[in-house]
Amino acid sequence: MTDIIEMSRIFKIFPPSLVALDDVSVAFSKGEIHAIVGENGAGKSTLMKILYGMQPADSGEILYNGKKVKFSDPGEAIQAGIGMVHQEIMLVPQYTVWENVVLGYEPVKFGIHLDAKKARELVKQKIEEFSFNLNPDAKVEDISVAARQKVEILKLLFRNVSVLIMDEPTSVLTPQEIPQLFGELKRLRDNGHTILFISHHLEEVLELSDRITVLRKGKKVGTIEAVEATKAGLAQMMVGREVIFESIRKDQSAGEVLFETIGLNYTDPDKRPRLKDVNIQVRAGEIVGVAGVEGNGQLEMVNVIMGLIEPSSGSIKAVGEDITRKPILEKRKRVAFVPQDRGNMGASVAANITENVIMTHHRLDKRFTSWAGRILDFKQASSFTDEVRKKFDVQMSSGEAVFKSLSGGNQQKVILGRELLLEAPFILLDQPTRGLDVGSIEYVHQQIIDMRAQMRGILMISADLEELFRLSDRIVVMHKGKVVANLATDNTNVTEVGYLMLEGAAYEA
Amino acid sequence: MKRKVLVNVVGVLLALLLGALVMLVQGYNPLETYYRLFEYSLAPGKIAYTLSKSVPLVLTGMSASVAFASGPINLGQPGQLLMGALFATIGGLYINLPPLLMVPLLLILAMLGGALWSGVAALLKYWFNMSEFITTLMLNMIADFFTYWAINYPFFEKNANHPQTPLIAQSGWMPEWSNFNSSVIVMVLAFGVIWFIVNRSTAGYEWRLSGQNSLFSRLGGVNTSKNYIVVMLLTGALAGLAGGLVIMAGPHRFIKGIGGNYAWDGVMIAMVANTGIILTLVFGFFFSVLQTGSLGMELITAVPRELIQVLQAVIVLIVVAGRGYFETFFAKVEARRKMRERTA
Repeated sequence: MTDIIEMSRIFKIFPPSLVALDDVSVAFSKGEIHAIVGENGAGKSTLMKILYGMQPADSGEILYNGKKVKFSDPGEAIQAGIGMVHQEIMLVPQYTVWENVVLGYEPVKFGIHLDAKKARELVKQKIEEFSFNLNPDAKVEDISVAARQKVEILKLLFRNVSVLIMDEPTSVLTPQEIPQLFGELKRLRDNGHTILFISHHLEEVLELSDRITVLRKGKKVGTIEAVEATKAGLAQMMVGREVIFESIRKDQSAGEVLFETIGLNYTDPDKRPRLKDVNIQVRAGEIVGVAGVEGNGQLEMVNVIMGLIEPSSGSIKAVGEDITRKPILEKRKRVAFVPQDRGNMGASVAANITENVIMTHHRLDKRFTSWAGRILDFKQASSFTDEVRKKFDVQMSSGEAVFKSLSGGNQQKVILGRELLLEAPFILLDQPTRGLDVGSIEYVHQQIIDMRAQMRGILMISADLEELFRLSDRIVVMHKGKVVANLATDNTNVTEVGYLMLEGAAYEA
Repeated sequence: MKRKVLVNVVGVLLALLLGALVMLVQGYNPLETYYRLFEYSLAPGKIAYTLSKSVPLVLTGMSASVAFASGPINLGQPGQLLMGALFATIGGLYINLPPLLMVPLLLILAMLGGALWSGVAALLKYWFNMSEFITTLMLNMIADFFTYWAINYPFFEKNANHPQTPLIAQSGWMPEWSNFNSSVIVMVLAFGVIWFIVNRSTAGYEWRLSGQNSLFSRLGGVNTSKNYIVVMLLTGALAGLAGGLVIMAGPHRFIKGIGGNYAWDGVMIAMVANTGIILTLVFGFFFSVLQTGSLGMELITAVPRELIQVLQAVIVLIVVAGRGYFETFFAKVEARRKMRERTA
């Protein structure tokens, strides 16, 4: 096979001190699916963005079809035949599929106006050529996420790209939709397209790719043939040590009900019902996982529980008390909360680490203040930061350092430390490991298991089925604002849960 | 920390250099001009006067700094300053107590006036969710014309040929020793109190964090709407205090146009200082040096006073723009150094 792209000795630095790519050289062959794997912050996306012209490299060169190239923006890359499908899908929801595909690349009549008929026909041909199973006349807002992703791919194929970069394409898909995408990608490869596939899901990587390049902390660890790779081997290459994958729950009987929502309903200001009669119970020493495709009421449930929005009806009980309409500070005495969005809900990224660590504690724990809560004790605060650093193994220079200087994993450890040390009996976790690397995920999971052993009650919302099955005692499935199933983890499987997530009803075998 | 000082010093020096270029182009001698400027404001006999001139700048600057750092975009310092000045004036016209009681009373009245005016904006937000960014600006206009009406009609000094009130009771004048006006003492006290609140108190911590990320603070149990109102009232009081001191240290009466440009300069100072309290004090004093010195510059050299306004604006631009640039620059240098160490 011939190399279509050769990137050699690429360096990229993000100030202040992050060396994102450290002398990385990698070659991609024509007609292969080449996976780029690595933990978060390993440099996968950066490497691809440099290839795609979204970011300049600080040094190094790129050969494309044997010629030296340097794209200064994605437009140039697309013209040369390299396209990228991003994690977030960027389409015009009100437009139809074919309109979205031709947008910015429209065939024109008499050199002035859009030749709609021809455009639609061309798109239809492309759909057939790649047998994409898409309706060119459907509006994008009406089609599924998986179909939208196909539209994104089609958009690039329409511009005749031969190299397709996919940035974590499965992160938005349900388990059922993934095989279809993989089938399509394999067909494209057999057609002579080259596919570069960024992922940190090892199973997918092994299933899909021909060759795998592993990056770790900005350095290339190696490129291997997929047939020779194993999951454990790859994980070890990624994190530099061994990682365990199986379920880590120990048998333990749950205690009394610590937390429950009773008939929770919420209708948003646009009169759309978002939560419908949600009843969830969490016992002491139990982890209840909430599965569901994003946007099926999880966010609203979190906001209602935390008091950011008021439920239309229903109530929330924590540790025997009705907290539905209590001030947030009052709720926080019973509820620890790790949000999915670190920089927005979980921390003030501009403040220093200590200031982030003592939030909530500064009101609930008397040792942090004097003069009836009016004066802050910064000595106590910084020794508390030290406590969090030690107990949660946070890599940081000092408590004075600004929060955003921490890596994602360490940010999450700080937030987790703050919340778990609140010693609230009930813990609400919203995507506790989103965006973390394998090593950090393992660490966070262990902490969650430890909390279970301490007989705290845990409600964990997650989009990651592997995580749900690894940790939860029970899994409730949310679909269109309703709890459609409440299953003991040991009596169910990924297929069943995945089906419930999509269809909202149990499937008939 | 060192780097922060460096960024500001380099910014000011660059601005002075640009000012010098402007002067050269115009055919003036920059060295001579700057010498006169700083001589006139910093010479031993003059510095006390410069200090008292810095009082309204620093107080309105702190008002803006505290507000911006805590979240509320209070741009109502001009109006709050005028209302504070009016309240102090009215108190001084109708009350007469021994100075030890009179001065604090008028200062409290001034703060009340300012707080009342920012309180209106706070309530509009609380009740109708109107942005203080707009309401404080509009309230500036109202305060402007309201005080103009007040000194033209109810509190007009009979037979005056200019809109102004009579003099306030002498017991309400800020004591002055040669050139040193005791309003500087009030400013230093206010600075101490504000510094302590912002850096040491629980409230200051919550304000700062809410200013950076209000959602996070709310989820952390901070009562953000209460804090919003407190910050609005406090920053209004600071601007009002500036207004009261302008009356009590200066003409001892409300004259049309007394608010001058103090409050907008204060907002500018807060921006140059990046809402830091200590830097607000430093830049407040520095702007006072420039403004006071400009008089001497104009008297002795032929350079017009307006040049100082240009200079102020250039300082703001260079320091504010430079802050971001220098940070990235230093960071990049450091990153490159680290990389070389690693690859070597």
